[in-house]
Amino acid sequence: GFPGAGQAPGAPPAGPYPGAPPYGGGPYGGPQPGPYGGAAPGGNVPPGVDPEAFSWFQAVDADHSGYISVKELKQALVNSNWSTFNDETCLLMINMFDKNRSGHIDVYGFSALLRFIQQWKNVFQQYDRDHSGSISFNELQQAFSQMGYNLSPQFSQLLLARYGQQSCRGSLQLDRFLHICLQLQSSTEAFCEKDPARAGSARLSYEDFLTMVVTRML
Amino acid sequence: MAFPGQPAPGGGFYQGGYGGAPGGPAFPGQAQDPLYGYFAAVGGQDGQIDADELQRCLTQSGIAGAYKPFNLETCRLMISMLDRDMSGTLGFSEFQELWAVLNGWKQHFVSFDSDGSGSVDRQELEKALLSMGFRLSPQAVSAITRRFSSQGKITFDDYIACCVKLRALTECFRRRDTSQQGFVNFQYDDFIQCVMSI
Repeated sequence: GFPGAGQAPGAPPAGPYPGAPPYGGGPYGGPQPGPYGGAAPGGNVPPGVDPEAFSWFQAVDADHSGYISVKELKQALVNSNWSTFNDETCLLMINMFDKNRSGHIDVYGFSALLRFIQQWKNVFQQYDRDHSGSISFNELQQAFSQMGYNLSPQFSQLLLARYGQQSCRGSLQLDRFLHICLQLQSSTEAFCEKDPARAGSARLSYEDFLTMVVTRML
Repeated sequence: MAFPGQPAPGGGFYQGGYGGAPGGPAFPGQAQDPLYGYFAAVGGQDGQIDADELQRCLTQSGIAGAYKPFNLETCRLMISMLDRDMSGTLGFSEFQELWAVLNGWKQHFVSFDSDGSGSVDRQELEKALLSMGFRLSPQAVSAITRRFSSQGKITFDDYIACCVKLRALTECFRRRDTSQQGFVNFQYDDFIQCVMSI
């Protein structure tokens, strides 16, 4: 059978935002002067957007374009070891929350992205049983098993080598763990589309195969 | 059916297997091979080079020509494309293979970069992929051009990353297509492993 959706539990964000910049619990240094003027963060908050997410958006949107690019996002998201999220994961995040495929996200997308990351941070912390701040090979195997994936140790090893960071061999920070989990979900969804009977196998043409992977996983 | 990567003279497939790369001259021997000079200059005692060393090696060799040197992620991708023992490094013969493939892809890129600017636009990328034999659905082409372009432009580096990924996926599929009919019956576990390792 196929693993469960493996979605992060839909818990509301609790406490400070994940990946909060190292300078404090909130956006960089508080309200910034500049094009947004002295407007208090509480004002002009778009409906449905958390005020803190809004201030943070303004701080991260360095060129004040009203959109956050992959590069800007990278500065906003930080792992527990203070490394910024890697490029691949930032790209994946933008693609997930970029409704009109423009390559960047607006304040609504950003707000949703932060909630999403918080949920996954909770999942990460759940599997980081020894609270080391990173997920080890064993913890990864347990995570996969609990998410319903039946993956071999060799495969977990391969994932660590492929997605993990050279300097932290054998363990994963939040960004890379997130990347792996999301890619597993995407590829499972792609496969399920071709195997509606849930037989566990699918006959794929070369062109099908390329299209499936390219549209979901690049 | 012909697999992409080379202009298919109707029928035979898996010939060469490298995107338009010429067969390449037969290298006389490791020591006399000028490529070995670049390789040895960056490789350590173990005769293997990792992504950082590959980046330096390719930069020194000037294969990127007027174009900027490869970024590290592209180098990592290139290694994983040829890294048969999954060591994360390349030996000299793997490096020679890479060199031949890169040259082929470079010729191809240059032929589409008509203004010599170092980047091609989305339509040119689409044409380049088509001429390499990739018959991709419109969604796939769209996804590829979105993924590999910045501000509507695809640099040489991005183009190489794109070729490497497409080639790796092709290899993945090809290895499983035992009857060479262009179809594979994938088991779920195998599919996941295949696509996650690219």
